[in-house]
Amino acid sequence: MKLVPAEEDFSSRLRSASVTARVGLWLGVCFGICFVTGLISHYAQNHSQPIPFPTSPSWGYRVTQGLHVITGTAAVPLLLVKLWSVYPKLFKRPEKEARKLVLDVLERGSIAVLVASAIFQLASGLANAAQWYPWSFSFRSTHFAMGWIAIGALLVHIAVKLPIIRGALGADLEDTTYDRPSATEPGVLTRRGLLRTTWVAAGVAVLATAGSTVPILRKVSVLGVRSGDGPQDIPINKSAYAAQVTGSATAADYRFTVAYGDHEVSMTRDDLLAMPPSTETLPIACVEGWSASGEWTGVRLRDLLDLVEIPGGSDILVTSLQESGPYKATILQGNFADDDRTLLALALNGEPLAIDHGYPARLIAPNRPGVLQTKWVRRLEVAT
Amino acid sequence: MRWLIGAVGVVIGAFGAWFLFSRQDLDQLFSAAEWLVAGVILHDGVIAMITVALGALAVRLVPAPARAPLVVAFVVLGSVTLLAVPVLGRFGARSDNPTLLDRDYTTGWLVLAGITLVAVVVATLVRSRATRGGGHGPSAGRR
Repeated sequence: MKLVPAEEDFSSRLRSASVTARVGLWLGVCFGICFVTGLISHYAQNHSQPIPFPTSPSWGYRVTQGLHVITGTAAVPLLLVKLWSVYPKLFKRPEKEARKLVLDVLERGSIAVLVASAIFQLASGLANAAQWYPWSFSFRSTHFAMGWIAIGALLVHIAVKLPIIRGALGADLEDTTYDRPSATEPGVLTRRGLLRTTWVAAGVAVLATAGSTVPILRKVSVLGVRSGDGPQDIPINKSAYAAQVTGSATAADYRFTVAYGDHEVSMTRDDLLAMPPSTETLPIACVEGWSASGEWTGVRLRDLLDLVEIPGGSDILVTSLQESGPYKATILQGNFADDDRTLLALALNGEPLAIDHGYPARLIAPNRPGVLQTKWVRRLEVAT
Repeated sequence: MRWLIGAVGVVIGAFGAWFLFSRQDLDQLFSAAEWLVAGVILHDGVIAMITVALGALAVRLVPAPARAPLVVAFVVLGSVTLLAVPVLGRFGARSDNPTLLDRDYTTGWLVLAGITLVAVVVATLVRSRATRGGGHGPSAGRR
């Protein structure tokens, strides 16, 4: 057996454009959903939002980010089978004629970019969902940039292959028009069997993981990153210990402050508890794709801003007790600050807020990435 | 139409490349490049090769009625195992956050593998009975 095979050595008729186009179609759909939901997530985390990110529906981000991770997970078996079906082409001999060689090199280059960025996106995304960061690049900006690169390379690939894609999808699954001459031997499975196997693999991948965001799947998602358990029945991303706020969050001299110009109001947690309470059912939906719904009780944020007469529509700087890290302060856009459902939460699911959920007080707003739902809130003021 | 799709693709990809290069320092870019290259090598050089080798081995060692069930099991369990590497290894686990990676993933995987194994055995028995009933066995696999 040769160490490096030649294209003709691959004889299975399952490695056919007819199979590739069908798996590729669904892979393209998954990548498309990943791209769009990824853009939504990226925009939702932007400080500056020329078009305000909507506050409704409150579960919007939960759905888009859940879909992002679910379609990315389903794409793993689809990508593996698709690459398997075209693997012989990797060993194709280079063209001899100069013009053909240039086109060949260009096409292979675009495919190399596509394959590398596609594998990168799925691998880095899955690792991020499990909060594993074995790299030194910035996940958010690299995953974002690579998403554009992958979609760009995918469009180029579709443009190059369009006649074959059209032909293969329009013809019968058993059609051999676009097959390599050596791809004639029947495989262990039929083409139909291979496609069904691929759909089953994608389905099992989703069922085994999606329980982290789809509550009814909790019991079957044996490979989900979260079981859904946690203090007050909600998982957490960053503990008080990791944020180094265990001392300051429980200190007797904790004061919550809301400020506007030289007007400042400071309050203890008891003062906050004495204000008219509101209760809202809102999800925590994390960029890592897990989510959980909770019943939050606290003070309407707008009522607090009114104490110092902060004008409606102002972007609010929310500062945490955290002394370091990118999320020690976040910007809450004006439309979120003014929404009636946005609370400075003091209790969750009927109990005083657990310290890992942000005791003494945390922000909870509808339709907002979890990473921006600032915990251990110390100060509110107008963002400049 | 094709030219339009291709041109849009080039513009979108170029934006991604510009964004990638403009936001990070050289060390971070090297780390990203390592991951890009490693992913391709891991797939084209390792995973795809192992798949070919296992296929060749299966054709020699596995009786015909068991081949198709085994291929199905390999695709399903293999891809699910691969995407579960981060949770199976629990690399991101933190002692201060018991809500993260809080399942028994080894047991979960064993249950999945067990279900798959039972399905392979049942499908093989059904197929070999059908073959003995006068049908023809499936032909040998090809890579």
